[in-house]
Amino acid sequence: MNSQSPNTRSPGARLPRAIKRLMPIATGVGMIAIWYAICLGMSPEQRFLLPAPHEVARAFVEKGPALWNAALNTGEGALLGFGIAVGLSFVMALILSLSSLVRASLYPYLMILQMTPIIVMAPILILWVGPGLKSVTIITFLICFFPMVVNTTQGLISTDRNLVDFFRMCKATKMQEIFLLRVPSALPYFFTGLRIAGTLATIGAIVGDVFAGNSAGGQGGLGFLTIIYSAQFQIGALFATAAVSCLLGFIFVAGVIALSWLALHKWHDSFSQSDV
Amino acid sequence: MTREARPPIVELSNVEKRYGDGPLILDRVSFTADRGDFITLIGPSGCGKSTILKLISGLNPATAGRIVVDGLDPSRAVEKLAFVFQEPTLLPWCSVARNVELPLRLHGSDKAGRAAVAARSLALVGLADRADYYPRQLSGGQKMRVSIARALSVSPKILLLDEPFGALDEMTRDHLNEELLAIRQQLAWTAFFVTHSVAEAVFLSNRILVLSANPGRIHSEVRVDLPYPRTEETRQSPAYQRLVGDVSKTLRSVERLKP
Repeated sequence: MNSQSPNTRSPGARLPRAIKRLMPIATGVGMIAIWYAICLGMSPEQRFLLPAPHEVARAFVEKGPALWNAALNTGEGALLGFGIAVGLSFVMALILSLSSLVRASLYPYLMILQMTPIIVMAPILILWVGPGLKSVTIITFLICFFPMVVNTTQGLISTDRNLVDFFRMCKATKMQEIFLLRVPSALPYFFTGLRIAGTLATIGAIVGDVFAGNSAGGQGGLGFLTIIYSAQFQIGALFATAAVSCLLGFIFVAGVIALSWLALHKWHDSFSQSDV
Repeated sequence: MTREARPPIVELSNVEKRYGDGPLILDRVSFTADRGDFITLIGPSGCGKSTILKLISGLNPATAGRIVVDGLDPSRAVEKLAFVFQEPTLLPWCSVARNVELPLRLHGSDKAGRAAVAARSLALVGLADRADYYPRQLSGGQKMRVSIARALSVSPKILLLDEPFGALDEMTRDHLNEELLAIRQQLAWTAFFVTHSVAEAVFLSNRILVLSANPGRIHSEVRVDLPYPRTEETRQSPAYQRLVGDVSKTLRSVERLKP
């Protein structure tokens, strides 16, 4: 038989490929057209509320160096906070997966960590580590940590019961059971958490920048630019900042998707479909 | 054959089992298995046939009674036996070959030896050319073959099979039954097999233990004196047909025993 699973293709794959590729572009062109139409329909006094697409493009060029620098600063905080969250959440999930007693004793306190609003944490963090990259990193970490822990723990405790029995019958050691069975079978859950955290990381770093950033000496991030441009009423530049923030988020998510593809595409059904 | 002279390979005497404070699952189950026996356990659901396999495997201890596996307590006889589950129970992230050699890897044997054993086991089940595939690329029957190859990789003396072909279509099931017996001709293990299918039980085994439920007890034993090797022709023979009829009748009478 032909085992390259031709039967798992989704119905959408029947559309000609070219049309599938063109659809997102067509949607984008359509949205820009609507955007222009709205701008043209506005009275001159209202125009400042919504800059036309070309005005946003101009702001991009004018503010290019500032945006680039801010994006790098925010990206650094996002990457650091995200990376630490991934590492520590994995260790925490391993601990939580040990027993339901451990979970019952620790979960409420993890919830507290998640429930406390960043706006309340920020002044405390500034007091402890000062404003700037450290605070931004910690805030990003706090935002990414919880979804990672929850998903990875869920994965570690959802191992196929029969496989666990099989390992025990083979007299596998506890270490073998954890690292050859529980961890690999938790990978799909881990990557679900990673995708959620990946989208949150840039948001976290920008929010962190707003509340606990340090703008001195070109250290400001995209959050800082947002504050400046809104104070100066530069709506075009604000839109450009929003676009850069989106782009940064996309880069993060693309990186996470690439990683999960590398880890899962050979064996997991989530990548056997043509549309991911 | 010097079979009579050697002690039985598996012996259960007055074995009882209950989980925690739950109801009695098995009630005074006693039987012995000689080397080379192919024993099928059949009976209504809830009669504890799978439990018997788990007790022999040492995965669960008996509540009362004595089990001896090749002269040892089941918990110490692990290396002598292999288990085939109802599901293929493969690691989806490992290739077919890596799945087959997994038990050896867990026992800490070296890489070269493992690869040789995996290749040999896969050849036995006719999947030598699928070594680098991943489980999701295989059909249900192929996955089950891999599962059997994995069990054979430890060169077991005893094979425990818990309804391994229950989820397969009849054609595939018949094929795998024949293959299983063909492999048994080459490697002489003792088999304990659980199934719901009377036809399968008669085709495979030389002894069928019929169990009754609530609690599980051995109701009767049927000897199947059809000569091995058994093939498609065996299924056509009047003796086989008669045995299937007899066992079905016994099974129906057991199911009517419900309290």
